[in-house]
Amino acid sequence: MTTIRRDGFTDAFFDHARRGDLAVKRCAECAHWHAPEATGCHRCGSETLTWTPVAGDAVLITWAKVHPRGEGEVQHIAYVELAEGPWLHAALDGVDAPVEGLPLRAAFVRPEEGEPVLVFRPA
Amino acid sequence: MGGVAIAGLGMTELGKVYGRSARRLAADAVRRAAADAGLALDELDGLLVSHGMGGSPGIELADTLGLRDLRLLTAMNAFGATAGAMVAHAAMTVASGGASAVACVFADAPLRPKVSAGAAYTGSSRDYLGYGGMMAAQGFRSVNALYALAAQRHMARYGTTSEQLGAIAVSTRRWATMNPLAQLRDPITLADHQASRWVVEPLHLLDCCLVSNGAVAVIVTGADRAADLAQPPVHVLGWGQGHPGDRRERGSAFGLTTGATLSGPAALKMAGITLADVQLCQIYDCYTITTLLTLEDYGFCAKGEGGAFAASGALGPGGALPTNTGGGQLSGYYMWGMTPLSEAVIQARGQAGERQAARNEVILVSGNGGILDHHSTLILSPTGR
Repeated sequence: MTTIRRDGFTDAFFDHARRGDLAVKRCAECAHWHAPEATGCHRCGSETLTWTPVAGDAVLITWAKVHPRGEGEVQHIAYVELAEGPWLHAALDGVDAPVEGLPLRAAFVRPEEGEPVLVFRPA
Repeated sequence: MGGVAIAGLGMTELGKVYGRSARRLAADAVRRAAADAGLALDELDGLLVSHGMGGSPGIELADTLGLRDLRLLTAMNAFGATAGAMVAHAAMTVASGGASAVACVFADAPLRPKVSAGAAYTGSSRDYLGYGGMMAAQGFRSVNALYALAAQRHMARYGTTSEQLGAIAVSTRRWATMNPLAQLRDPITLADHQASRWVVEPLHLLDCCLVSNGAVAVIVTGADRAADLAQPPVHVLGWGQGHPGDRRERGSAFGLTTGATLSGPAALKMAGITLADVQLCQIYDCYTITTLLTLEDYGFCAKGEGGAFAASGALGPGGALPTNTGGGQLSGYYMWGMTPLSEAVIQARGQAGERQAARNEVILVSGNGGILDHHSTLILSPTGR
């Protein structure tokens, strides 16, 4: 597993993750929900987005498998739609029969070194 | 407004072309385009510049070329939709009298010797920092991953299959076998497509475009003037753009529809024609799924039926809608929006040799940028209004 290190800009995500919570961004002015990589609110124009914990309920939108060149494992990736609305670039874990709308739940893999990694598993 | 035409086409060597910067390649393409039109370089009074990933000629290109007293000089960027946007901007400027001969150029030089094409378009950082780093570690390391997600969504929603995408790869390669400029000219079969390695499943290697170094330029001028120049004029009858502003959130059309639904009808209306009048398509084909989605969104088949349409053989030599007749970006050369535009010019002039389409009266050219986020359309014809 690759080691994830903090970048000083998204540390709050990992603070929540270490407590087992998924945090995404929410507009401080209009309360619209955004993915963690958002830098501003496309709905109202605010640049103040607040890290906000959510339950982690999602449904599967679409999925793919990243194949390694040479050594390495196939990586299962997806777009998932949070109950709050935003789509997340996601890793799937344990989804053997992917279908649109499959209920998923956020979880964290805790490597020995570095920050937790967000995955989505069947709910 | 008076009619406007493309009077010149300049192409450098394309592909694994090393030792020349993107700026130098851009300058070479503009010189060739002017010479092709039968214009002296100092007869150009407009220059529009765009670039890809590997080095960026900007408006300093005018200085590189020694152009003086230009009346139009701008760098443009709408990603893969830029070529269409440049031609439209040049056409409007010429039609309104703002300039009389405008060169539009794209150049890129991402390839380096002994580095894979994939690596040329992927970040080189091995540091997985922050949330973005976590995404990269999960597998989001290139646009391949995002186009694979788009393809899979179309497959799940409409039953589109890998074999149907493969039909696009095969028909596009059939055209490439007849294009001396194409980088990949060996015929392939559907079995070859299915056997090619997964890049990001459901996309095989043969679903993905090339990466190329090189430059392409066109000269846009008034139709009357073009008629007196060296090459048969290629009339610009219509143009459009479409930027849906899709947000990846509940209700997103990602992987299902693109901005072609906006730009196609706009361009056809301006040209005063309907879709049934289109005889030849040059579609931005960064991936096979891009061709499929774009053809659906223009309305050449119903939404969701692009796979069956491609598998019917309509797009290949002898088909009802010859598409990407130079081999596209999949097999020909990857000059972003200049790939479909350059082949359209060659076909409109009747200079495509062995692969010349019998019917070339109305040619549709598309551009696609971002992850299916930006779209442009041109309608070209050997005949003016």
